[in-house]
Amino acid sequence: MIDFDHVSKSYEKGQPAVNDITLHVDKGEFVFVVGESGSGKSTLIKLLLHELMPTNGQITVNDHVLSTLRHKDIPKYRREIGVVFQDFRLLNDRNVYENVAFAQHVVETPVWRIRKRVPEVLQMVGLAEKYRSLPRQLSGGEQQRVAVARAIVNKPALVLADEPTGNLDPRNSLDIMNLLQKINDNGTTVLVVTHNRELVDMFHKRVITMRRGIISSDVEEGKYHES
Amino acid sequence: MSLSSLFYNFRQGFKNIWRNRMFSMASITTMAACILLFSIFFSILINVNYIIRTLEEEVGISVLFDEGTTDERIKEIGLTIMDMEHVTDISFTSAEEAWEEFSREYFEGNEELAESFGSDNPLAYSASYTVHVDEIEFQSGVVAAIEKLENVRKVNQSASAVNTLIGFNTLVTYGSIAIIAILLVVAVFLISNTVSIGISVRRHEIAIMKYIGATDSFVRAPFIVEGFLLGAIGAAIPLVIMIFAYDKLIGFVLTRFEILATLSSSLPTAAQVFQTLIPVGLALGVGIGLFGSIITVRKHLSV
Repeated sequence: MIDFDHVSKSYEKGQPAVNDITLHVDKGEFVFVVGESGSGKSTLIKLLLHELMPTNGQITVNDHVLSTLRHKDIPKYRREIGVVFQDFRLLNDRNVYENVAFAQHVVETPVWRIRKRVPEVLQMVGLAEKYRSLPRQLSGGEQQRVAVARAIVNKPALVLADEPTGNLDPRNSLDIMNLLQKINDNGTTVLVVTHNRELVDMFHKRVITMRRGIISSDVEEGKYHES
Repeated sequence: MSLSSLFYNFRQGFKNIWRNRMFSMASITTMAACILLFSIFFSILINVNYIIRTLEEEVGISVLFDEGTTDERIKEIGLTIMDMEHVTDISFTSAEEAWEEFSREYFEGNEELAESFGSDNPLAYSASYTVHVDEIEFQSGVVAAIEKLENVRKVNQSASAVNTLIGFNTLVTYGSIAIIAILLVVAVFLISNTVSIGISVRRHEIAIMKYIGATDSFVRAPFIVEGFLLGAIGAAIPLVIMIFAYDKLIGFVLTRFEILATLSSSLPTAAQVFQTLIPVGLALGVGIGLFGSIITVRKHLSV
């Protein structure tokens, strides 16, 4: 599903944000990426989203070689990825249903299919009853569940979650992780960038630890260790 | 783009206009002022042109010949004139016909006075050709060419009123082009400003759209729709005003410029004017709206 082959990314000043990383993630895997601030986790996500291009090396995601991707093919590539952010990034002037349907409108899904799919996904994330609520009427955990619903409504092959529990209390954090686990159980590859030590230790998944732009450890059923 | 996406983008375009209603109002008002002025000038020009065309059909050149010119020579002159550029029609009036027509008009009610001339024809050397040209601007050139012909005694032309009208028409045309051009630039600037504000207000939404996998055209479409709608609404308002105000406008112009009323017995109907004015006005408004939004989207929205 994901292949990093000696990938580096340098910005104008300072040492590379990502330095000669080689990494393979299988289809259907659930992976945590952990590390202190500035270790290169966010750059990793941006590289996967084709928001940044590597300075060296090659990235392959779901059979797309990102360096050879033409500009017009980027939207098609991104439709295969669902993304969840720490700050939810919902549209505050639209209700829950409209926020999720938005993702389908954007990829030009026919309306009849949107009307069928959105309630299914809202049911899955446990927000079927609140489809008319605006984001400001929801708790942080509920808002993140809307963001997760939006990320999976187009049935992506890969879900990238960048600090999805960063703004949530422990209970809501656990709910979101369980939701991501459920999505993974349905066959979707999930990559979670997080600082949440308790959750990482609780889920016994593959843990990739980054430090100063390199992978310092990559452990199956690992635990969080920053040192 | 699918039909449902098209509807979706139209809805978003309307929402953009509503979100930035102050700027949208400014754009629509400027556009409306521009199209209203265009409509007024267009109506005046189409009426003046109509009068000119009518007069072109009526106003002819009279060609008179030297004393003693033979019928063969008069025929030759006729054929030469017929071959001249811009000449559309030529008709011959013999001396007898000329006297007959003159006496009928001049001695109307006093026919016995005409009879007193007996077989004498006071207009014995007044055989003439009446020549029509396709466009009045070319009349002077044709007159000059006829005057050079041998045995042509005199050439009369009566196009001074028409020439005055042409001058008026040219003045109105250039004046209106200048005013409309300035307003068009202002309209494009305001539409561009409105669209760029819409883009900055929706930066957050655009970023999400790009993460989700929106195509360039899908991201840009609502802003193009916005420009289209601003142009279309800005054009529709003055056109509706013109439909109701047209008769009063023409009445006002005819009162101020009485010469127009005396020159032509009929004017184009409102339907004749609007069958051109409505599509041209709408196309102009929509064109400006699209132009303003497209240049702004290209400049401020790199997707």
